[in-house]
Amino acid sequence: MAKLFERRLVPADSPLAIFATTAGAFAAAMLVTSFLFLSYDASPFQAYFALFHEPFGTLRGFGYSLVRASPLSLIALGTVVAWRSGFSYLGFEGCFVIGASATAWVALLTAPGARIGPLPFPLFLALAIVAAFVAAGLWAGLVGVVRARLGGNEVLISLMSNYVAIFLLQYLVSGPIRAPGSLPETKLLPRATWLPFIIPGTRAHAGILIAIVAAALVWMLLSKMPLGYEMIVTGFNAAAARYAGIDVAREIILCAFLAGGLGGLAGMVEVLGSQHRLMDGISGGVGFVGLVVALLARLNPIAVVPTAILYGGMSVGADAMQRRANIPSSITFILQSLTVLLVLAFDALRYYRINFSALSRRPSPPVAEEVPK
Amino acid sequence: MNAPQFVLSAFVVAWLTASLRLAGPVLLAALGETFAEQSGVLNIGIEGTILLGALASFLTSYYTGNIWLSLLAAVAIGVAANGILAWMYVTVRASQVVAGLVFNVLALGVASTVYRKALGNSAVPESIGMFQPVHIPVLSGLPGIGPVLFRQTILFYLTIGLAFVAHFILFRTNFGLALRASGENPAAADSAGISVSRMRYAGTLISGGAAGMAGGYLVLAQLGLFRETIVSGQGFIALSIVIFGRWHPLKAAVAAIVFGACDALQLSLQIFGTHVPPQLLLALPYIVTILAISGIFGGKAVQPAALMTPYVKE
Repeated sequence: MAKLFERRLVPADSPLAIFATTAGAFAAAMLVTSFLFLSYDASPFQAYFALFHEPFGTLRGFGYSLVRASPLSLIALGTVVAWRSGFSYLGFEGCFVIGASATAWVALLTAPGARIGPLPFPLFLALAIVAAFVAAGLWAGLVGVVRARLGGNEVLISLMSNYVAIFLLQYLVSGPIRAPGSLPETKLLPRATWLPFIIPGTRAHAGILIAIVAAALVWMLLSKMPLGYEMIVTGFNAAAARYAGIDVAREIILCAFLAGGLGGLAGMVEVLGSQHRLMDGISGGVGFVGLVVALLARLNPIAVVPTAILYGGMSVGADAMQRRANIPSSITFILQSLTVLLVLAFDALRYYRINFSALSRRPSPPVAEEVPK
Repeated sequence: MNAPQFVLSAFVVAWLTASLRLAGPVLLAALGETFAEQSGVLNIGIEGTILLGALASFLTSYYTGNIWLSLLAAVAIGVAANGILAWMYVTVRASQVVAGLVFNVLALGVASTVYRKALGNSAVPESIGMFQPVHIPVLSGLPGIGPVLFRQTILFYLTIGLAFVAHFILFRTNFGLALRASGENPAAADSAGISVSRMRYAGTLISGGAAGMAGGYLVLAQLGLFRETIVSGQGFIALSIVIFGRWHPLKAAVAAIVFGACDALQLSLQIFGTHVPPQLLLALPYIVTILAISGIFGGKAVQPAALMTPYVKE
């Protein structure tokens, strides 16, 4: 008897199969969440309208969506570089914090009356980018060195390095660069160091442009440059890469540096574009959300920025939904995480094909194992 | 005994008592996680599981007033929630890191939604009945170690007992051997007739039950209330403890006390107003753990060889 669902040896990887499973996962997550909305006596249509109208249907809300999307995109791009090179780095929370700290330090150094004095903005921005990128790049690069030279496990080490970075930040803002006052934070950075706002009447800042440029560069690196090609080969099969003459250790250290640097830039745009100061708790899990964005974008650099805008926008919409429809914003966590879990689970469906001939009533063809007498 | 000596000994006793108190819940979660990791599953979802366990025990205690039933509810919800996770890890073979991290977000969403639905948005957290410290006769009267070791809650003694039980199961039973084989060399375990998926399901469910119970421990023995922020990283501390303890239940107990001691010491030093940055003490156990598993000190990697690798039966 032929089975209705036949198992494939390799998953279906046509664009249609990928689109269908992803769309199915989204639909299923939204369906489940609809029942949650119903339990609050809210019409799911109105709730979803509230969730998506504020971040994507209003200028002000869209500005906030871009603000949230900027650091998420940069962290997701770092994830793309690391994970496609086979380096399962989870330390972006730490890189974000290190990048943010380096940026704040440069900004405080160039404040009026400080040691270096005010710089022209382009020069300051270049300095901040280099500082954030290099500091966080070295932070992650160390983990790369440990993995490549000593054989340590990058998942566990990077996970714990986050805490070291967070404690370092706590130390900085409660000691050396703390502003007078009760809160552990620096003083407001001088206005001359802020990223320019790009859409009048909103909080959207140039960070999203930095993210778009970074996405283009990552795409170029991975699709057009020999270095990126070598990284991806290393990610697919390190043994084969070594056999082909690729210096695997060097690739891993380099990809760790680049990935960490991108995570550091995320910290930079958050400090210069949104918070305008360094404070305890500035990261708040953004490193892990960025990672999720990268996975939803299926580690494709071109898809990262739109996915980040969608994901960041949903957080903005959640607050609006709570205000308007009195539905707790925590439901958005459920919707977002359920979507990702279902995308993962639905991926397993691509291992199956539907055998339509099993649906017809004709008896299945004779089976070979019946040995004729 | 002169005055400075008295102050010092009082300080040490208070410090050690607090160290053990802080170590309890994370040790419990770490013991379960040891089973998951020995079977080859890195269960990052324990952070969220602790939160769900905390909520389940809080609500059960709030409605029934029975603290043991509440503890049981925490274990049950932990096992149930990790059934989903085990399915993702083992059957779907999703990336363990991703599924675990996202599960934590899901748990946060579910916990805060359910809590608000059950108790509304009251500004003052409702408090519930709790496990009280047990004064063990005679022993609790011993100078120094009496107050430190013998005036903890029953859950603390239970946790220490479970560390020995976990050690026995992992290293002295066939089940433990099969579990460790699935994490060390799943192909060999498979050809020896061990069902790798069943072992990994078992490891994940055990870690879920233990993490749920750790949540119950937090609520029923330490806080007496629920807030969605009460776990805040303790699941990740438990992960670090498993690594610091080199995937070994009894060493994990030592590791948990070291983490607890650093945490308690920075709290006391802040009260005394010394110049040691408290963050340095807090970061110290993490730095030591990183150094310990980095391979800087040579030696082969000690983690289960197939950790985080989904097993595909040939």
